[in-house]
Amino acid sequence: MRIVQAFSAFFKILADREFALRVAQAAETKELPATKSAAPSSPSPPPAKAKVPSRNEAVTLLATLQREARFVDIVKEPLDGYSDAQVGAATRDVLRECGKTLERLFAIRPLAEEDEGTAHTTPTRLDAARYTLTGNVAGEPPYHGSVVHRGWQVTRCELPSWSGSDEAAKIVAPVELEIK
Amino acid sequence: MTAKYVIGIDLGTTNSVVSYALLAAEQPELHVLDVVQLVSAGTTEARHSLPSFTYLGTEQEASGALDLPWTSERSFAVGEFARQRAAEAPDRTVGAAKSWLCHPKVDRHQPILPWNAPDDVAKISPVEASRRYLQHLVAAWEQAFPDAPLAEQQVVLTVPASFDPVARELTREAALAAGLPVDFVLLEEPQAALYAWLATTGDRWRKMLKVGETVLVCDIGGGTTDLTLVRVTEEEGVLQLERVAVGNHLLVGGDNMDLTLAHFVAGEFEKQGVKLNPWQSVSLWHSCRSAKENLLSQAGPEKQTISVLGRGSRLIGGTVSVEVDRTSVAKLLMDGFLPECTAADRPKRQRTSGFQEIGLPFESDPGITRHLAAFLAANADLDGGSQFPTYVLFNGGVLKSEALQARLLQVLEQWSAGTRPTVPLAGVHDLDHAVARGAACYGWAKQRGGVRIRGGVARSYYVGIETAGLAIPGAPRPLRALCVVPFGMEEGTECDIPSGEVGLVLGEPVQFRFFSSSTRKHDLPGCLLNAWSEGELVETVPLEATLPADADADDTYVPVRFQSRVTELGMLELWCVGTNNSGRWKLEFSVREEAE
Repeated sequence: MRIVQAFSAFFKILADREFALRVAQAAETKELPATKSAAPSSPSPPPAKAKVPSRNEAVTLLATLQREARFVDIVKEPLDGYSDAQVGAATRDVLRECGKTLERLFAIRPLAEEDEGTAHTTPTRLDAARYTLTGNVAGEPPYHGSVVHRGWQVTRCELPSWSGSDEAAKIVAPVELEIK
Repeated sequence: MTAKYVIGIDLGTTNSVVSYALLAAEQPELHVLDVVQLVSAGTTEARHSLPSFTYLGTEQEASGALDLPWTSERSFAVGEFARQRAAEAPDRTVGAAKSWLCHPKVDRHQPILPWNAPDDVAKISPVEASRRYLQHLVAAWEQAFPDAPLAEQQVVLTVPASFDPVARELTREAALAAGLPVDFVLLEEPQAALYAWLATTGDRWRKMLKVGETVLVCDIGGGTTDLTLVRVTEEEGVLQLERVAVGNHLLVGGDNMDLTLAHFVAGEFEKQGVKLNPWQSVSLWHSCRSAKENLLSQAGPEKQTISVLGRGSRLIGGTVSVEVDRTSVAKLLMDGFLPECTAADRPKRQRTSGFQEIGLPFESDPGITRHLAAFLAANADLDGGSQFPTYVLFNGGVLKSEALQARLLQVLEQWSAGTRPTVPLAGVHDLDHAVARGAACYGWAKQRGGVRIRGGVARSYYVGIETAGLAIPGAPRPLRALCVVPFGMEEGTECDIPSGEVGLVLGEPVQFRFFSSSTRKHDLPGCLLNAWSEGELVETVPLEATLPADADADDTYVPVRFQSRVTELGMLELWCVGTNNSGRWKLEFSVREEAE
């Protein structure tokens, strides 16, 4: 019976990205040993090349934000000498594109469903990673309080994959050269 | 091996999308394939759609920068990276290959794209470009489903309803070369959009639509606009859908709007004394694409700032911006592309100058509403009854803008003249992916049963016959047109054309002029037209065949009649059948010789 289940899970993981993510999350939170994982091994398509990418994924993210939103350009630029209006004009576009990119790669959503300023009750078994408690913290959970910040979590994580050379691993943006 | 999945492919002018469903499921459960593609040199990412662009790389780039997980030393790239390069290196980027595919003035097998590119760029043909997009989609599918090769699945590929038989044939050629299964099916895009809507309603559409009602499918894509009318009919008490009319191929779409806006904003910059360089102009085009939606929305701010970011790393310092007035922009786009007009208005014909470049035959009148008026007027008289669309189904990324939808509805209401105004079809719409989803739904219904839109061919077709008679020097012999394919001839049927015999010379290529009509809907096969009004019949590429000479026989010519077929897969075929022997020859479109 289990083999049928495993196969159907296998295909669903292949076909349905959200389901795949849920399986990954389930595997993580329940701390299942790898051997008992619901899916047979190598459920995802084989990665680009057999070679392990030699670049830290954080650099890939940085390169993506620079390419699509010019994020590095704007944070590297000294703001002295520009008026707020000038900064605003440029930032508006950069922020919009950053937002679009992060949405596509991470689909960031609030952790708490309630709006800020409204009441919220924690579960009895408190996950310390989900809550920062402030004010009069006393006694045992569940705690009742008012939401100051809703928190954030990523609901997917789909970074581009990179296949360049070791020498290119540190490059965030290439030199642009206009040939006349 | 039997197919496990049904796969719908929307090969778009600017974006291509793949949708799929398991055939074994009880209900079609549709998914959109995430297509792995290059987003930057050496970087791949999976995205919902594949931009239909090809970038032809330099020699240096061919050493790995353009590789994909399934290729090596590739010298070109398709998809998002190619789309970005379109702005930076236009001479090396091919776009709108699909529009070229239906352009009769060029040889579509010749390497002509990028159009006007310098000689050192290895150009490709429109057919080759289409093949590359499809091949990429096939490879991306097989990467995700290594145990289900695409060639063994049931595949539905969409084409514009207005594609003529030649463009369909070329699409099929590209698709087979890309590795699609031989029995893949062609489906018209507006029909696919309607299938996608039908799928979202489950079976409730039978309660929502009534016999005699008409649905207008209005599909405004990036580069083209496609119009279709579908009518609700009844057969033995069961509701049926029938595609009753298809509009002409209109080369106007969302990209034209973005460019118009960019042009206007560049003018505003100039008023401030800021002259934009070519790079900034392209960047402005992108900014305008994002700003368009805001500027068109009713609730938006009265003034909006449009900025072009500085090019180098001095981003803030180099940024130039201009304030544009929402009202004037809305007026510019609305009045330019969806002008208010009466039902009697027609597209304006511009006098063509002697210097007209071949290029793409963009519409001389971008007023989509005037094209719509002409389309509805040409099809107002369906089966005797007056037919004003009861519903409209919007499709295409451009129509995500509520303001544009509202303008179309407003214009339709004015035209309705007291009858019930046209309303949008209620339900959930996914304007970017509906065509691919609908294609998969259609494939699913074909296999598993479900509602099918009946349609048949969207035009009637004619073969030109020169009349016998005394030749007058300097004057061509009068031409008559023999109807060989009636309007609405259904898939999987064939028809012997009753006509006088036509003599074909053996051993030499024979050519027939070939015409189509979207307005003459009542001509029967064998009907011979002596005269027709201008514009009623449109000449397409000629048909030709070479009949092998038989060494033993004395005959130099053979009498034949025509036979037409529309295959199950939606392809049109014309045959010559010998009347006193069993010979049978297929007439092919002579695409290669049509270029001027």
